[in-house]
Amino acid sequence: MGLRIAARQRARAALLPPQPTAKATDMNVQTQNPALSAVGVAHAHHYPAKMPVVGNARLYRIVVIGLLALAVLTPVGLIIYQSFLTGPFFSPRAAFGLDAYSYVFTDRNFYKALGTTTVSAFGMVAIAVPLGGLLSFLITRTDIRFKRLLEILVLVPMFISSIVLAFGYTVSVGPTGFLSLAMRDIIGIVPWNIYSLTGMIVIAGLSHVPHVYLYVSSAMRSLPSDLEEAARTSGASIWQVSRDVTLPMVLPSIVFAASLNVLLGFETFGIPLVLGDPNGIMVLTTYIYKLTTLFGTPTYQLMAVVAVVLLLITLPLVWMQRRLLRNARRYAALGGKGARVATLKLGRNGQLVALGIIGLWLFVSVVLPIGGITVRAFVDAWGEGVNLLDQLTLANFVRLTEVPSLVRGMINTVILSVVGGAVAVGIYLLVGLAGHRNHGLSNTVLDYIVLLPRALPGLVIGLAFFWVFLFVPFLTPLRPTLFSLFIAYVVVGLSYGLRLLQGTLIQVAPELEESARTTGATIGRTWRDIVIPIVRPGLAGAWALIMIIFLREYATGVYLMGAGTEVIGSLMVSLLTTGAMNTIAALALISIVLTGAGLALALRLGARIHD
Amino acid sequence: MTELVVNNVQKWLGGLQILKGASFTAERGSIVALLGASGSGKTTLLRCVAGLEQPEIGRIVIGDRTVLDGERKIALPPEQRNIGLVFQSYALWPHRTVRENVGYGLKLRGVASAEIGSRVQAILERLGLGHLADRYPSQLSGGQQQRVAICRALVYEPRVLLLDEPLSNLDAKLREEARYWIRKLILDLEICAILVTHDQSEALAAADNILLLQDGRIVQQGTPQEIYSNPNSFYSADFLGANNIIKGRVQTLDGAKATIGGEGWSLPGVVRDAAGVSGNSDATAVIRVEQISVSDKAMEGGIEMDLDDSIYLGDRWEYRLHRGGLIAKANGALQIAPGKVWAWIPSDAVWVFPAQK
Repeated sequence: MGLRIAARQRARAALLPPQPTAKATDMNVQTQNPALSAVGVAHAHHYPAKMPVVGNARLYRIVVIGLLALAVLTPVGLIIYQSFLTGPFFSPRAAFGLDAYSYVFTDRNFYKALGTTTVSAFGMVAIAVPLGGLLSFLITRTDIRFKRLLEILVLVPMFISSIVLAFGYTVSVGPTGFLSLAMRDIIGIVPWNIYSLTGMIVIAGLSHVPHVYLYVSSAMRSLPSDLEEAARTSGASIWQVSRDVTLPMVLPSIVFAASLNVLLGFETFGIPLVLGDPNGIMVLTTYIYKLTTLFGTPTYQLMAVVAVVLLLITLPLVWMQRRLLRNARRYAALGGKGARVATLKLGRNGQLVALGIIGLWLFVSVVLPIGGITVRAFVDAWGEGVNLLDQLTLANFVRLTEVPSLVRGMINTVILSVVGGAVAVGIYLLVGLAGHRNHGLSNTVLDYIVLLPRALPGLVIGLAFFWVFLFVPFLTPLRPTLFSLFIAYVVVGLSYGLRLLQGTLIQVAPELEESARTTGATIGRTWRDIVIPIVRPGLAGAWALIMIIFLREYATGVYLMGAGTEVIGSLMVSLLTTGAMNTIAALALISIVLTGAGLALALRLGARIHD
Repeated sequence: MTELVVNNVQKWLGGLQILKGASFTAERGSIVALLGASGSGKTTLLRCVAGLEQPEIGRIVIGDRTVLDGERKIALPPEQRNIGLVFQSYALWPHRTVRENVGYGLKLRGVASAEIGSRVQAILERLGLGHLADRYPSQLSGGQQQRVAICRALVYEPRVLLLDEPLSNLDAKLREEARYWIRKLILDLEICAILVTHDQSEALAAADNILLLQDGRIVQQGTPQEIYSNPNSFYSADFLGANNIIKGRVQTLDGAKATIGGEGWSLPGVVRDAAGVSGNSDATAVIRVEQISVSDKAMEGGIEMDLDDSIYLGDRWEYRLHRGGLIAKANGALQIAPGKVWAWIPSDAVWVFPAQK
């Protein structure tokens, strides 16, 4: 006992730095006292406190991360606050209480919506994951033809808003869609019904294939092909190889993609709104949306409760994904960087089968909706026995230019995505720099703040910001301006945009920054003179991608949008209730064209769509 | 004049101590080499001097400014240390021309642009790069990039020039040239330079003083000649030179003189590290390859050995010798037929150390 204390005291003495005894002798090397270093090893855990890091832009980092936290936590906090009130927060009669919770938790429709949401989320995953995995395998690991074209085409559904896609399916394979009518002419009946839970699941599943493809294909790309070749030369067939070698190796990324899609499934809004709503099929997001119109007065407290429930489901999912992604990266790192990717030979028949599968998927997920919209936008009416060629017209587009709110909607959408997208990239850059080569508490805070918006659907974020702009006095004048939409968009795009920026920033070799520091530049100068100029091409690509995200956004503006701040996507949502199909079709086509232009720009600017 | 004082610098990474109290000083107009295997902490020590890493304990003084003091919790950022650092990868900024790369340090110091132009041009001329000023780094060869990196670190006349393995990305011929002119340049400009390297020949050729690092500690320091011919530990002896490592047993021990031997052989030698060497203990001997001379004729005082093979290496022949458990390599100018030979091994070239695991 006494001995141990003595040892500890000695250890403490050893950790005190010796008095500076360096005489000014040339090359004065102090050889270490062996006893001292032995104690040092034994007490390696008791290492001294870290030195303060000076000149690491600490204030900047704290301010930026703090502002971001404010922008994210205020709306989320307001939702939670509102859920515990008995009335809308601005109502003088609102008091604290659990009334809203008891209403929602005793509402049969809520449980039906919750059940439907769960079934459709997992059903979507059951379709998207196998198909996305197969597409990734065919495109990255085989010698399939038209590879470069397919790589881009496969991603198209991801860039089109799901309200546009859902509308596209309505006009092509809906009860009176072009294809349905043609089918009835041929075989007498329409063998499908997209206005059903199954229809919703199939369409959502098909349109989420790109989200799976994006992650699984990047894992497959980094897989060294000699593993597959070894199996091939041992006599395994192409399918045995993919089952026994490729699949287990990319399993982490498949699990990640699956969990991401469960999350997207819980947040999906456009598809159930268009396809489920007419038959009264509700999911949580449409349940929230319906609550708005269910009663004459605002039922904010009920919407807030559902949003909180949604958050409680999705937040653990997001947190789990973060862990999965880390594991997947670790797994992929085993493959090594210089892995040579040789492709499996499909052979003639294999090519036909593979191209057939991808072609069929592309037909159903891209050609059907986009084709349907394109046709619908140029005709005035259609139905049985109507010759479409007789109905060809530009009237739908002419109408767009005549209705002021529609004109404003198009202008606002372009401003928000082009200008707003650029400013958003600037903001993400500032946030990215605040987290750049930063360790410690503020970085952990940043990591978790970014998770929150991912856990909430755009509809809820838009709603929450709508409340913020009602609630916070000095923000109220900004509510009827595009600024309110812009801030909400920035938060909606935060996790995606920040990941883009962080991915770009991390590519700057640390020595390039360190050499600026040793040359005499402060960290701010280093960012300005070295880091930002080097990442400039990446910024342009990120701008194009954020532009597309903002272009396709429809849910965020549903509540925020007002007279003067219309945007295309949210206009379509509100037009759905009026049934103005001609106008929706024209708007949808314009949205597709704008997205296509954005995508072309992104590819031209060399955006890294593939992670 | 002492430009750099490093005193008892200790650094931890997580729970692991990676610098265990390094101290040295460096003078103007001289080159100090930090030599060691990978993981010995040499680069970390250099980065601590540069301010890119923060040690928890220790003191560092550059010129007349204390840049690190663990007790007073002073740690100046790199930009306030007035140093120049040449990175292993050169780390030239790809978006700036050679002129802009080199002139950046002067611009940061508020030098007038006309003066920047002339000073940049002067140092580029001096290193034979005058005609490349408007090129981008990607348009330069590796050797040219390295010289630009040195210009960039020197142009604003830092108190200390730090070089982190500056030659390791050059091919062998360029490297020998580079270590010569870098040394000449530093001596001409009377700069204080610290050179990190894992290459012993680089340290021996370029440095005035060598610090040998092992496991976060400076195990020996001295001039190149001292380090090479007077090692104080097995690690020092083994790290430098081309060596025969011989395992045996101490047969006689008389002060610093010892005889090491095994089955059928024994060699007189000198004890270089007394701790752990005692009569009849296991021991390890180090003999530099060049210390053994071999002849096919009987030599007085030579020991008789079997030559297994002579291997032609271009500029010399390498002999593979053995006698019982004594296995050795030696060099010579002539081919010798395998068979009986005589090897001359001076006793002061047989360095006896404690047995190594």
